[in-house]
Amino acid sequence: MSDNRRHFAALCLMVAATATGACNKSNKPDCSSPDVFCVGVVTDVGKVDDKSFNQSTWEGVQRAKKDLGAVTQYIETTDPKDYAKNIATFAEEKYDVVVTVGFALGEPTRDAAAQFPQTHFIGVDQFQPPGAEKKNLAGLVFPEDHAGFLVGAVAALTSKTGKIGAVLATDVVPPVWRYGEGFKAGARHVKPDIELNVVYHNDVGIDKTFSDPEWGKTTALSMIDKGVDVVFGGGGKTGNGALIGAAAKGVYAIGVDTDQYYTVPEAQKFLLTSAMKLLDDGVFDLLKQAKAGSLPSGNVVGKAGAAPYHDLDSQVAAPVKAQVEELQKGLRSGSVKTNVAPTKP
Amino acid sequence: MTASDSPTSGLGEKIRKLTAPWKVPALAVFTAMVVGAILIAVAGGDPLAAYAGMFEGSLGSPRAVAETLVWSTPYILTGLSVALAFQGGLFNIGAEGQLALGAVAAALVGYGLPGLLGGSVPAIVHVPATILAGGVAGALWAAIPGWLKARTGAHEVISTIMLNYVALNIVSFLLNGPMKDPAPDNVIARTPLIAESASLSPILSGFRLHWGFPLALIAAALVAWMLKRTTLGFEIRTVGANPEAARYAGMKVGRTIVVSMALSGTLAGLAGAIEVSALNHRHQLGFSQGYGFDAIAIALLGKTKPAGVVPAALLFGMMRSGAPRMQFLTQIPVDVISVIQALILLFVAADVMVRRLYRLRGERERVVITRGWGS
Amino acid sequence: MDYRRYGFIAAIVVVLIGIIVKLGAAQVSPASIVASMIATTIAVATPLTLGALCGICCERAGVVNIGIEGMMLTAAFFGWFGALYISSILHVGPMTSLLLGVLIAIISGALMGLLHALLTVTFEVDQIIAGTVVNLLAMGMTGFCNRQLFFGAGSAFGGQIPRAPGTLPRIHIPILADIPFIGGMFDQQPIAFTALVLVFVAHFVLFYTQWGLRTRAVGEHPRAASAAGIDVIRVRYINIVIGGAIAGLGGAYFTLESVPSFEPLMTNGRGFIALAAMIFGNWKPIGALAAALVFGAAQAFQINLQLFRDVIPPKFTFLQQSSVVGLVPYVLTLIILTGVIGKTTPPAADGVPYDRERRS
Repeated sequence: MSDNRRHFAALCLMVAATATGACNKSNKPDCSSPDVFCVGVVTDVGKVDDKSFNQSTWEGVQRAKKDLGAVTQYIETTDPKDYAKNIATFAEEKYDVVVTVGFALGEPTRDAAAQFPQTHFIGVDQFQPPGAEKKNLAGLVFPEDHAGFLVGAVAALTSKTGKIGAVLATDVVPPVWRYGEGFKAGARHVKPDIELNVVYHNDVGIDKTFSDPEWGKTTALSMIDKGVDVVFGGGGKTGNGALIGAAAKGVYAIGVDTDQYYTVPEAQKFLLTSAMKLLDDGVFDLLKQAKAGSLPSGNVVGKAGAAPYHDLDSQVAAPVKAQVEELQKGLRSGSVKTNVAPTKP
Repeated sequence: MTASDSPTSGLGEKIRKLTAPWKVPALAVFTAMVVGAILIAVAGGDPLAAYAGMFEGSLGSPRAVAETLVWSTPYILTGLSVALAFQGGLFNIGAEGQLALGAVAAALVGYGLPGLLGGSVPAIVHVPATILAGGVAGALWAAIPGWLKARTGAHEVISTIMLNYVALNIVSFLLNGPMKDPAPDNVIARTPLIAESASLSPILSGFRLHWGFPLALIAAALVAWMLKRTTLGFEIRTVGANPEAARYAGMKVGRTIVVSMALSGTLAGLAGAIEVSALNHRHQLGFSQGYGFDAIAIALLGKTKPAGVVPAALLFGMMRSGAPRMQFLTQIPVDVISVIQALILLFVAADVMVRRLYRLRGERERVVITRGWGS
Repeated sequence: MDYRRYGFIAAIVVVLIGIIVKLGAAQVSPASIVASMIATTIAVATPLTLGALCGICCERAGVVNIGIEGMMLTAAFFGWFGALYISSILHVGPMTSLLLGVLIAIISGALMGLLHALLTVTFEVDQIIAGTVVNLLAMGMTGFCNRQLFFGAGSAFGGQIPRAPGTLPRIHIPILADIPFIGGMFDQQPIAFTALVLVFVAHFVLFYTQWGLRTRAVGEHPRAASAAGIDVIRVRYINIVIGGAIAGLGGAYFTLESVPSFEPLMTNGRGFIALAAMIFGNWKPIGALAAALVFGAAQAFQINLQLFRDVIPPKFTFLQQSSVVGLVPYVLTLIILTGVIGKTTPPAADGVPYDRERRS
């Protein structure tokens, strides 16, 4: 009998403990108050630490925390089913701005913008189709093809074997495809007979395609066995794997999205440059505008470019550097065209 | 019956009898949560706040309760699936693949049937067709390892695990290819939306709780009835308890194995179909993953009986739906749930530990299914 | 020697390599393609080989172990975390950190093995369930620790991922690696080499030593073994823990040799493919190696197929998808299970818990 009483007591204790805990309201910021500027970030099934895309966005948000005094929080989506729920979590807590990262969140973000007209939304890499703009939603897009074009030119000009390659995530994600197409266009622009090996990881789902560094590395290695001597790695951790594979074989590597010289230190010695889109600047600028109440709607085009050569600066010949700078100017002014469509036809 | 010591002992006796089978599972859960709390504390978090957050996220509002029940639905069905297989002496680790194929089949019928029949289909036909398609797909996929075991002695653990991966690859192939949503702005590996007429509606508008939940409960009742009251149920249980004796008694063991697996697969396939019809209205790569192993824990926690599976599934549903809130409030990662669930399974399977810890009387309940790789 | 089986395996590998050679004929020499594919195959097969060896250790002693996946995942995470911690917080040089990381991985695997042994041998929990517990625990713990230790409140690195010490360096054996066609075999990273060596060590130990004899006796007839004076419990424990250590080495491959980063669930079913390799190889180390190589070759085939995409005749392009070629290990195992290509003969007492008290 005493056993049963003890068990019953234990059960009561457990329930009581949970209940008291439940009564303990945790310290939550009061976002509905006008002087508290709350920014929430919802990532895709990747992670905040993917050393390129999500991380730069987060860095832009963190700058807002420092310079604008914003209260910041993030939710990493673990299941695509939860996109809408995760966005709603912030919106219902009356966050001022919800930043959703990545192309796959495009539709749920548009739906949320309609559902929560008082909340501002920033969709990173989410191209807003013409005619479907929402007043409280800004799509931050970048000219990835320009960045790809520049690094493609660099690759073609520095390759000694005349064979260059790109290991990318899935081409169904427009930014990735544009990097790839830009790379091809840029390489051909400076060396029409360059041999190109562009491989997309479009045989796995969106959840895996950006987080498969092993595939990235093995593919890069196989490419290098074929004679490729410059490898462009593009697409979250998958691309990072390619960079590491290239560095392991002593072959030039080119990063993506941010200056990966800083984020993939293992590849520093061989990292020629990176095709950057200035995510943290773009996000920060929009957040500043949002705080001032003037967040634009529709598409906002950020800046893109090629990262400095860092350690390999002395190995890149001066005429090559000059030519690349010319191309950069030409792209900006419009005299040089990449001829890459906004999305894959 | 001993002579009563006190006037209330009759009632006490009744309560003890009723609660006896629940003691080990309940204590297993409790112990797992305590260990989980220790883990959270060691990792720098606040266990009480964490559990409170989980509680709030799972039951703290009508919306939360609805979400919990939504999460519990596939758990109930997959839990039943594994439990039924256990009753038949079989270890069905293939619920994951059976669910996936069930989802795909349901999606196919959901969006394809109107086109095939050249017009819209009334919901009264479309919904059952969609759900049944899922059940059939699951049944067929589970029948394969059943047949392999009956015919060649191939152990169902390995064959179901292999078939899980085969199923996932098939689904990936289909969703990236023939069944891909052809809408112009779509790039994700997903099917088109199923027709309105194929969707199970929500019970109350505004919440995601749908008719799939009551369906799951009905399924549980049906399985319980089938096992206890029908000849087939008797055959399944006998073959499960002692195949040699069953054979000696004239039962067709091979056939029963296939049927058990098929029924088990049907339940898992139904889980997938309901996810598609009632919740997601399409199937997408990455949806509805991870139920396979959880189902094993749920089935064992519920002592492989439908009456136990339902509360076990609700518990797991609570944990799953409450965890994101917990992470949001306390920054404790949702993965702690997986650890707790693993610990629950541990304590349920090694019930010796729980019995010794809490000084419970009674026989140890052994669940031994494995009989090696060959037959 | 099971000629039918080995012949089947050899045929598949030759066909796969041959297809790529033909496709690439215009661009690259056959010698370098074969070398590249062999190199990739061996590298990719490493975790499979080690996982299969773990399985063989356990099952030859009579204990089913489906927790290989969990053991490798745990080792992958803690080995990597250890290496990171040692190199960035304790400021030890990269090579030493990596080696210590490998050691930690091996120990983690062994500890998971200890858990499995405790559950199956002492508590006599159903062995499949015990394996499931190991897997679930591993998935939960690594996910939890991954977030908590790097980003959470108890972050060991202050919220940033520190610079990784890199990966284990390639070992290039001078003359042998330059042999055309098969040179790729001798230009591998350490764990890959170790795996190959371990196969032969395991073969020797299992079939030519006292210890191996005792192990096999325990796996075939534990009662008779016990009557002959062998301590069944001890033999099982030791084998399972050693098996776990080997799986731990396999886990180290993922994060310390392949790519220096951890992804949740990065083992991605490789532990189960290792089980398949074990069955395919009929519970023999060399057989398991052959099976692992076939599975590795399938993956190498698929990757190379993507590189030569433009040359593939259109109706075969679907083969590039990893979801098609990825089917190979699983389908092959199913075929083997049916006994069509030679019988599978597991150890006789595999899976039966050893109950000391029972008389019969």
